[in-house]
Amino acid sequence: MKIFKCNSCDYVSVSSKYTCPQCRTGKLEAQEVSPIGTVFSFTDIHIAPAEFADIAPYTIALIQLDEANVKVTARMDDPVQIGDKADLDKMENGAYLYTKL
Amino acid sequence: MTNVYVHGIGMTQFGTFVDKSMKELLLEACIKALEDAGNPKVDAVYVGNFMGGAIYNQEILGAIVANELGLGFIPTAKVEGACASGGIALRQGIMGILSGEYETVLVAGVEKMKHASTSEVTQAINAAMDNDSNEKQAGLTFPGFFGVLANRYFYETGASKKHLAMVALKNREHALNNPLAQFQKPATLDEIMNARIITNPLGLFDCSPMTDGAAALVISKKKSGVHIRSSAQSSGPTQMQDADDLLSIPAIRESGRLAYEKAGVGPEDIDVVEIHDCFSMTEVLAIEELGFFNKREGWKAVEEGRTKSTGDKPVNTSGGLLSRGHPIGATGIAQIYHLVRQLRGTAPNQVDGARLALAQNLGGTGSYSTVHILERV
Repeated sequence: MKIFKCNSCDYVSVSSKYTCPQCRTGKLEAQEVSPIGTVFSFTDIHIAPAEFADIAPYTIALIQLDEANVKVTARMDDPVQIGDKADLDKMENGAYLYTKL
Repeated sequence: MTNVYVHGIGMTQFGTFVDKSMKELLLEACIKALEDAGNPKVDAVYVGNFMGGAIYNQEILGAIVANELGLGFIPTAKVEGACASGGIALRQGIMGILSGEYETVLVAGVEKMKHASTSEVTQAINAAMDNDSNEKQAGLTFPGFFGVLANRYFYETGASKKHLAMVALKNREHALNNPLAQFQKPATLDEIMNARIITNPLGLFDCSPMTDGAAALVISKKKSGVHIRSSAQSSGPTQMQDADDLLSIPAIRESGRLAYEKAGVGPEDIDVVEIHDCFSMTEVLAIEELGFFNKREGWKAVEEGRTKSTGDKPVNTSGGLLSRGHPIGATGIAQIYHLVRQLRGTAPNQVDGARLALAQNLGGTGSYSTVHILERV
């Protein structure tokens, strides 16, 4: 998985920014890390926007990556609990689709 | 400290008004505020509104107010800041006076939502997220964001769904005494706990409703009995995955810190509070971020009844967004309306001797927050 790390402090994010929001001087540089992580929190969405109504209820999880201080928002293939291990299955329409390990 | 005072307040009832247009609601609130202020000369108008263009096909709300009320060729603007549109509109009015450009400003907020279908409104509300993001593409929603926060909050603190239900029940009980509130039917803790799930663990009563309504204020540098001691605003992460601490909403914390610093007061000095309880979970986080209670301990204050109108830190004595209703652009103005009544000593659920009041208005998933501190002088 591609993440972005500041070249002058320890800030990391799953998305790029023009300037590092932590030190305000560094630039973010892309880095590859394993997408495997742990469920930090989750919810099961029962009332969904029209474009996702056909798959509701579905689970959204915030995944803490193992290899970097980065969290990523993902859709899960099954319900999860905090602490469950998860891995990236695929990207689909710009979304990270994760599977419970 | 500002040199700005509140001279007039006006508000429509909040609820479902199929027979009233957005313009009628907006003008009704403005006229009430102008009459309350003694019909002064107005130098500018700011209107907070979020989805008038998206679901009502109506913009130019500032010019409509000036024209329909016969205020002359004065400068006007509509202000958009998602659910903080009202708070930001007020702040623009205050800054217009602080700059020396205006003496008296009419600030209003309005939203008309009940004519549209739930899916149309949900779609419009989602415009307050970063829609060009993997997070939106995954299917995250507004209630979903606060559902994720709530599950982590439970995990870290020992709080449970019952504590969220206690927030919803408190605000419902407050609304029962407020004739302008949307919900005036009592509810029980059981009913709240067992309501239809919107997004785990948040049920129907944990989420603010769709609402029609408007509110307005006349503010001026001329003195009155209610002084706006400070006005502050901050922005925060527009995506959940960017939060340093998931159980913190930095825009609330920072806007609160700035407002206290400018006013020269602290959380311990505030007598009555209106905060942005778009979800029951949001109220718990906001009372922590604003310094009323320790981090990760807001739920204990709720359990002990400390945030009830009879408690030592009364929160949302109007009924809050959960039960007073949440006509998005009007919400930030309605908070001030209710706090001015508290400071005048004429509010539903009146807090004895209220002198300092705080309003906090949130937009997006923590994207915008305004805090205003008012004082009875």
